[in-house]
Amino acid sequence: MAWWTLFKRELSSYFHSGVAYVVLFGSALAQGIQFLFIASMVMQNHYTQSSVMQVFFVWPLFWLLLLVQIPLITMRVFSEELKLGTIEMLLTAPVTDWDVVIAKFLGALVFFLVLWLPITLDLVALQLFSSPPPPVYWSQIGLTALTILLLGSFYVSIGVFTSALTRNQIIAAVLCFAFLFFTFGVSLLHFMQNLNDSVQAMISYVSSPEHLSNAGLGIFDSRPLVYYVTATLLMLYLAKSVVQSRRLKG
Amino acid sequence: MIEVDNFSKTYAGFRAVQGISFHVNKGEIVGFLGPNGAGKSTTMKVLAGYLPPTDGRIQVGGYDVVTDSLEVRKRIGYMPENVPLYTDMRVHEFLRFRAELKKVPRRKIKERVAYVLERASITDVQNKIIGTLSKGYRQRVGLADAMVNDPQLLILDEPTIGLDPNQIRAVRDLIKDLGRDHTILLSTHILSEVELTCNRVLVINRGKIEASDTPANLTRLVRGGGSVLIEVKAPAADVISKIEALPQIDDVEVVPGEGDWTIAKVFGKPGADIREDIFGVVRQNNWPLRELSRVKATLEEAFVELTQE
Repeated sequence: MAWWTLFKRELSSYFHSGVAYVVLFGSALAQGIQFLFIASMVMQNHYTQSSVMQVFFVWPLFWLLLLVQIPLITMRVFSEELKLGTIEMLLTAPVTDWDVVIAKFLGALVFFLVLWLPITLDLVALQLFSSPPPPVYWSQIGLTALTILLLGSFYVSIGVFTSALTRNQIIAAVLCFAFLFFTFGVSLLHFMQNLNDSVQAMISYVSSPEHLSNAGLGIFDSRPLVYYVTATLLMLYLAKSVVQSRRLKG
Repeated sequence: MIEVDNFSKTYAGFRAVQGISFHVNKGEIVGFLGPNGAGKSTTMKVLAGYLPPTDGRIQVGGYDVVTDSLEVRKRIGYMPENVPLYTDMRVHEFLRFRAELKKVPRRKIKERVAYVLERASITDVQNKIIGTLSKGYRQRVGLADAMVNDPQLLILDEPTIGLDPNQIRAVRDLIKDLGRDHTILLSTHILSEVELTCNRVLVINRGKIEASDTPANLTRLVRGGGSVLIEVKAPAADVISKIEALPQIDDVEVVPGEGDWTIAKVFGKPGADIREDIFGVVRQNNWPLRELSRVKATLEEAFVELTQE
């Protein structure tokens, strides 16, 4: 249960550091403003064909927020330990490299999910203050939450990996951002006109906005599930290998 | 407790440690001495299971550091150089975390933490955030961390670096005390500390073991364990030639004294007691004598002699 001990410490360290509250406040504010904006647009019947959920997640601000949040959350997980030298203390305790990587990953993931809690308040507010209250589609909300969890896992695992690469938190954050931007950027190719069908299919396989949009419509698709789970495991394996090779090099 | 057989460590082409072998028995307090960059910290990191050896076989408590790394790590308490700690945690919180991580049984954690807090004399700062503590306190938190799982072997990399003389004395007493129930390997630059605490000294230089002996024997090795100082009324040249003619003499250094007096420092061959022979020479020549004393070599001299090229 070493990973559990480490996980508890990881998660509490987020709340010990001031950065966590800044990110939490910034996210809540951005989500709130965005929600207000979308809700008012929906009320003006600009988006009558779409659900609030769906509009929310194809909104560019959502992605901007996501691409900034993840590096800020994950940049310190390994870099700080490498810089302070505490990694030596950590890895001379009877723990495996996997314990450490998993604990850091889960800590960051849970904190990431905490950042999404304010949005549930927005949804509650929507129910309370609109008349008549809009219908609630649980399957769509559930699938969207699942997709956020899955893509959050993948993105957080990228951050854990880039943090293991360097002792400099800023470099870790920039690397993570670049990596995420590339992953997200591929989905933008979708808008190019003259692509053949197989390329389009490949793009939509890895396109996170499309996955979220489908979930918002209540469509369950197992392909993104496989994609995110495999990609997350791969990134965690790479992170573990980096931690290990650092020691082999000395 | 520790068995090191032909161990080498190479960093990016640089051979930090070159095929050393040594062992540490259960219950010993062994001092690891050597100039900066000699390979002390590297060796300790490998013993603690942090770095893998490039070559050779290392066992701690009967377990191989490469193949049974977790078993080794369960049995040791390692305090790295400069004592890296989580600066955002409180002292007792940190120690509880470390105890849990080192698999101290859940019902014993509270007791162990209280015990090490007391042993390291940090009970009064247990609620403070580690980042606000002074160097001396942090060092002791590091020691408490190393002890928290009641390890068979303590590996302490420069436990007294950066402390003031009072703190050094306190840590030294603690180490001596700990030596009753633990095997300890510690590295340091403070030689008087080694003389006072360690049963045995390993001197390492340029990645090789230069000596392994008790502090007393090491100093004895240095030019016969010291020198004999005499002050006689005789010409310097006479003193040198007559004393050097003796069989057990290694070297004679002469310092002119006041007036006709000559002060000579006589070094005997290793292990030889030359005082009587020297007095014999003085008596034969009827030199007036006003001092004949023995100057014991210090471990510092032994260290310099062993590690200088």
